[in-house]
Amino acid sequence: MRTILRVNMSDLSITKEPLPEKWANYGGRALTDALVFTEVPADADPLGPDNKLVIAPGLLGGTTAPNGGRLSIGAKSPLTGGLKESNSGGTAAHALGKMGIAAIIIEGMPEKKTCCYALRLFPDGKADLVHRHDMAGLGTYETVAVAKGIEATEDRMTEKSSFLVIGPAGELGMKSAGIAVTDPMGYPNRFAGRGGLGAVMGSKGLKVIAIFDEGLRYVEHADKDAFNAAAKKFAAALREHPVSGTGLPTYGTNVLANIINESGGYPTRNFSSGQFEGVDGISGETMRAITLERGGNVKHGCHSGCVIQCSRYYVDKDGHYMTKGPEYESAWSLGANCGISDMDAVAELDRMCGDIGVDTIEMGATLAVYMDSGKIPFGDAEAAKAALAEVIKDNALGRALGDGAEATGKAYGVDRIPVVKHQAMPAYDPRPIQGIGVTYATSTQGADHTAGYSITSNVLAVGGTVDPLKPDGQAELSKGLQIATGMLDSLGLCIFVAFPVLDIPAAFEAIGEMVSAHTGQTWGADELMELGKEVLTYERIFNEHAGFTAADDRLPAYMYTEKLPPHDAVFTVSDEDLDSVHDFVAETAAKMGIS
Amino acid sequence: MRIQLALFASLSQYLPEADNGNRLSAHAQLIDLPDGSTVGQVIAALGLPDEPRIVFVNNRHAPESHVLQEGERLAVFPPVAGG
Repeated sequence: MRTILRVNMSDLSITKEPLPEKWANYGGRALTDALVFTEVPADADPLGPDNKLVIAPGLLGGTTAPNGGRLSIGAKSPLTGGLKESNSGGTAAHALGKMGIAAIIIEGMPEKKTCCYALRLFPDGKADLVHRHDMAGLGTYETVAVAKGIEATEDRMTEKSSFLVIGPAGELGMKSAGIAVTDPMGYPNRFAGRGGLGAVMGSKGLKVIAIFDEGLRYVEHADKDAFNAAAKKFAAALREHPVSGTGLPTYGTNVLANIINESGGYPTRNFSSGQFEGVDGISGETMRAITLERGGNVKHGCHSGCVIQCSRYYVDKDGHYMTKGPEYESAWSLGANCGISDMDAVAELDRMCGDIGVDTIEMGATLAVYMDSGKIPFGDAEAAKAALAEVIKDNALGRALGDGAEATGKAYGVDRIPVVKHQAMPAYDPRPIQGIGVTYATSTQGADHTAGYSITSNVLAVGGTVDPLKPDGQAELSKGLQIATGMLDSLGLCIFVAFPVLDIPAAFEAIGEMVSAHTGQTWGADELMELGKEVLTYERIFNEHAGFTAADDRLPAYMYTEKLPPHDAVFTVSDEDLDSVHDFVAETAAKMGIS
Repeated sequence: MRIQLALFASLSQYLPEADNGNRLSAHAQLIDLPDGSTVGQVIAALGLPDEPRIVFVNNRHAPESHVLQEGERLAVFPPVAGG
């Protein structure tokens, strides 16, 4: 029986309770959603005592499921005001899964706002809270180093440990603050970045969650042999598909830079063009060449059991670790979107974001909006670094930047702010790639590419093809992907498994077979998709309670009228089509018995 | 006729040798072709591996039957994705 660990920051109590039977098949995003939906009032102040931070490994967390070690973190978002689930790699999900923990709930708030606590979870099932004022204000990297250094004198401390940490941006309650998760080498470079969840953790007075899982075994399955056979079948499909088997491990996610630029949908200088003349400087091919020349690592997984291996480390000219190989989204946001074409400058900004503890997508979009105000020029990496450094000083500029693109646009008089539900758009302009525009507009999460990655059929010819420049078929495409993503996020599977799943029938079958063998119940396509619908239903209804309406499911007005070169495209998907995406919610809610 | 040819990721190595005047960027250069050449003929002449690929002509997806015109840009990618 999996358990919920409830940590009350008001009275510093820690209790364990069994996972309610009705949620026995929930993990990851389904469980963070269910708990936030049930326990957090929709009108709660996101940074007040009534909000709760919920951390959950997927249903397959703690197993050997290939690419099954993703972590979900949920709360009411201080950025969007809606039910947020932010998803991260790193080693924490499997560690929690092995401990039998379905979710950690962080609730309440300490009396003293400046409290700085570390929550520690030990292999024997014990947990405690320790006051660690020495960590206050530290960057994420130093926080982990201090945590490891001091804990190393204790018997329980081992190298095999996972940390969730916030940087100073989270402590200051910045709406762009994320939660860093350590990778297999102990670097805090994986992020539950989106939606300001670092600020929620900071509001609870919590700086670190340390998870020590030394000696713990993988969790048991209802049918071990069947599980192993399904896992083997799944891994074979991941290796067979050219994207997950070759493209991603060779070049990383930033292999996308050139193809999205070629399609005319690579947002440049605050979404004013769809092509960047400096793309060569920050592409995945260039990043690979630089990293190999300097002796850096160009292929590893962010968690054990990853067979795709799209992670890499970016190193400086002397071969020393700087940051993870900037992901496509980060290289774009801090590069093309700011008019910066120098890979080292992008990596420095990426490291700064990681250390301060802010979402690279939100911060790159924010810096670009700030550049658009004329306060600093596009392309000026030094000015961007100086502006970013202000975020932790808590002055007027730092607060505006730290609170994200919309706050910065309003503070500095910028008309074109690329956000939906107050959250900045990622690395695809929705005008020439209209399928991703549907996802941005309608997602419960605000503008979020991962919520329904229509780039597959719109640009990459994965899972069929849908013309990216036309409105036809985009709503249906996005709807299917949003439901499927809700399911993957709940199982704890990396969404990159979607590429083979969309093209290879055996891959999708294997997911059902793994879940069936693990739970002892029958899971086919219908059950898996129903899980995805339940996820979106929780989020959608919570957001309605929080005041969201159909008017929030729209792109910024200028994207319907201002033409984006080179295609001179505007967004043309009808409101009727956008409103059709969640047409299943009422029926699903009735089945679930929620309203 | 003359077109722009761009090859990316694992296909970059198939860019023909070119004098510097024809090289446009790390991945693109100008090439001369007989009038009426199709995308498929160019791909065959370059010896690209017989694997799935994604083809753009002037920033739009194009079939390999597309007949290239003077001044067009042909870009070819292997299967890639990320996000």
